[in-house]
Amino acid sequence: MTLFEELQQAIIDGKAPVSKELTEKMLKDGIRPGEFFPKAIIPAMDEVGRRMRECEFFIPEVLIAARAARASSDILRPLLVGDEAITSAGTVVCGTVKGDLHDIGKNIVAMMLESAGFKIVDLGVDVSPDKVVEAVRQHQANLVALSALLTTTMVNMKSVVEALTAAGLRDKVKIMVGGAPVTDAWAHSIGADGYGKDAPAAVELARQLATA
Amino acid sequence: MLKNGTHRITLRPVQTELTAPAGTALRDLLFAQGVEFPCGGQGRCRGCRVHVLEGATAINDAQRERLTADELAQGWRLACQCALEDDLVIELRQWDAAILVDETPFAFTPRPGLGVAVDVGTTTLVAQLLDLSTGRVQAVRTALNAQARFGADVMSRVQFGVPSAGAQQLGDMIRRQIGSLIEQLVFSAHIAESEIVDVVLVGNTVMHHLFCGLDVEPLSRYPFESEHLGLQSLDAADLGWKLSPRARVRFLPCLGGFVGSDILAGILATNLGEREDLNGLVDLGTNGEIVMGNRQRLLCASTAAGPAFEGARISMGMRASTGTISEVKVEDRTVHCRVLGNVPPQGLCGSGLVDAVAAGLELGRIQSSGRFNNGAASWELAAPVILTQSDIRELQLAKGAIAAGIRMLLARLGARPENLKKLYLAGAFGNYINRASAQRIGLINFPAEKVEAAGNTALLGAKLALFCPEGEDGSFLQLRQRTEHVALNADQGFQDTFVEEMAFPETGTGC
Repeated sequence: MTLFEELQQAIIDGKAPVSKELTEKMLKDGIRPGEFFPKAIIPAMDEVGRRMRECEFFIPEVLIAARAARASSDILRPLLVGDEAITSAGTVVCGTVKGDLHDIGKNIVAMMLESAGFKIVDLGVDVSPDKVVEAVRQHQANLVALSALLTTTMVNMKSVVEALTAAGLRDKVKIMVGGAPVTDAWAHSIGADGYGKDAPAAVELARQLATA
Repeated sequence: MLKNGTHRITLRPVQTELTAPAGTALRDLLFAQGVEFPCGGQGRCRGCRVHVLEGATAINDAQRERLTADELAQGWRLACQCALEDDLVIELRQWDAAILVDETPFAFTPRPGLGVAVDVGTTTLVAQLLDLSTGRVQAVRTALNAQARFGADVMSRVQFGVPSAGAQQLGDMIRRQIGSLIEQLVFSAHIAESEIVDVVLVGNTVMHHLFCGLDVEPLSRYPFESEHLGLQSLDAADLGWKLSPRARVRFLPCLGGFVGSDILAGILATNLGEREDLNGLVDLGTNGEIVMGNRQRLLCASTAAGPAFEGARISMGMRASTGTISEVKVEDRTVHCRVLGNVPPQGLCGSGLVDAVAAGLELGRIQSSGRFNNGAASWELAAPVILTQSDIRELQLAKGAIAAGIRMLLARLGARPENLKKLYLAGAFGNYINRASAQRIGLINFPAEKVEAAGNTALLGAKLALFCPEGEDGSFLQLRQRTEHVALNADQGFQDTFVEEMAFPETGTGC
């Protein structure tokens, strides 16, 4: 097994200390920070996504795998320089909408997007439309990912779309939505650009929207 | 009768309206609506019995044999034996198999007159008529909450009720339905409405708000705090009820967030607040409510468990009724399923689901992560009923939420699980769930001997409140003052604990 394969396995198995140790060792061996993402972190999280889709992994396994991925990427990000630093797939402003405190699903999506090479600006939960507008402007984001877990709060996704339009930013960003009560039809009806039915779908969607 | 020889049939609680020619067999009409006929419509069992609320239906020998004189007088019929001769309003029994009434004896101070205690559940309604001088239950009526057609859980009712017209509609509906239950109580006990001096209602915060005509919008979003949680005294005439103007009607106060007076009544019924030992009360439902404490301190919280315990979002899930697998047992490493109604199995209810997963863990078919062994996608319990991988995931979410809530409240009290003397399970599901299975899956992490099914504690508590003298604050108001509501969703540690509690225990050992 190559070191990249070992790192992939450590992430899939959710072994954060192993992932951290391997990353440090590999850096010492002279592997460039930019190589880790395409050769270990992104394929590992794609595999986690696949297992999640096939019901093999559930929330706890996905969360510990994402934590292991982060143990590696936290070391790498400050080391990325020049071209490597701006090969980021895009900048995503994400959050759970106003009135809603559910953060597990949003966190999983954020961690998987991060592992897929996106820069994440996580606004947390109970996020007002103004806060999203401000963050998009400040970080020049090209994607907004919104989560809602309650039928009573998903209406606030629409307020975010409206606020971005009012701020003149609507054509600068793609908006994706998700969460248990959210549907494809809902995404269309509020003028969002896409709906991700689960975290792997959200990553796939983000990749499409970022290159569209 | 409608034009050209047809009749109209209204089905409750589903609220479907049908029209059909006179003489059509009810069996044909109801079968198309999903009603089951366990004996094949031969009049040989009671499985298809329905409650005819309005309209005439003939009684034949088969029905006299299967139904008691009382049941026939109350309007119960075997659907398979009836033909359409009149416009009918029918309540389907197969929908209300799990409504729990309460017959627990209790201590009280006699007072003159009659009283009514009502448990206003999200799914089911129970009303009991009591003789306040003897404490005896004179009559009972149960029904499915008519609001259920606007959504099964409290959040969907809130959503419907955020526009004031929706709240008005839901409020009118529940006030009318309970009014009609009271009329039925009066009718069946052969009493005069004027004899009823007191009505006590209990229910969760959403039921409280909708019934009392309070704005549910604050319950639709964080921080889920309404300003109108207090005791509501209502006027029978305003409610459209035919009671004496002197009759006192009270909806007991909520405890906070979504924790309503049904839980307050539960504390009263289990005497949790008066004991030296630490005890708990858990109501398992789509919204799980938890109380922990003793005479020094009482904490309560609610946690969204999702619909798995009610069989919803489970691939072959159904409410407990004919054809449901209600129990799963392992004997000699073989699975045995108990099916309600002695018919071929058709689905799985909440208690069957908990048992099935416990059995899967015991047999090594399911790993502690919740994953089926060997990558299986499903497990056939009893053909054609299967348990799928995603069913297990749904149960993990439900049990994780409850177990995390219990853990968080114990931690807030500075108590350890072994300090808990008794855990009472309120409500229908708590009554049917196998305690050993609940422990095996880590839903209730206490040994079976510490766990006790407490029945319909909401109704019992409402009855106790009927005996609180007028003008005095009553023990329930003091209890309400003393019970602290904990907003679990705002607690930083809750989500982590929730995720931790999603896995199943490696072995069935508790404390």
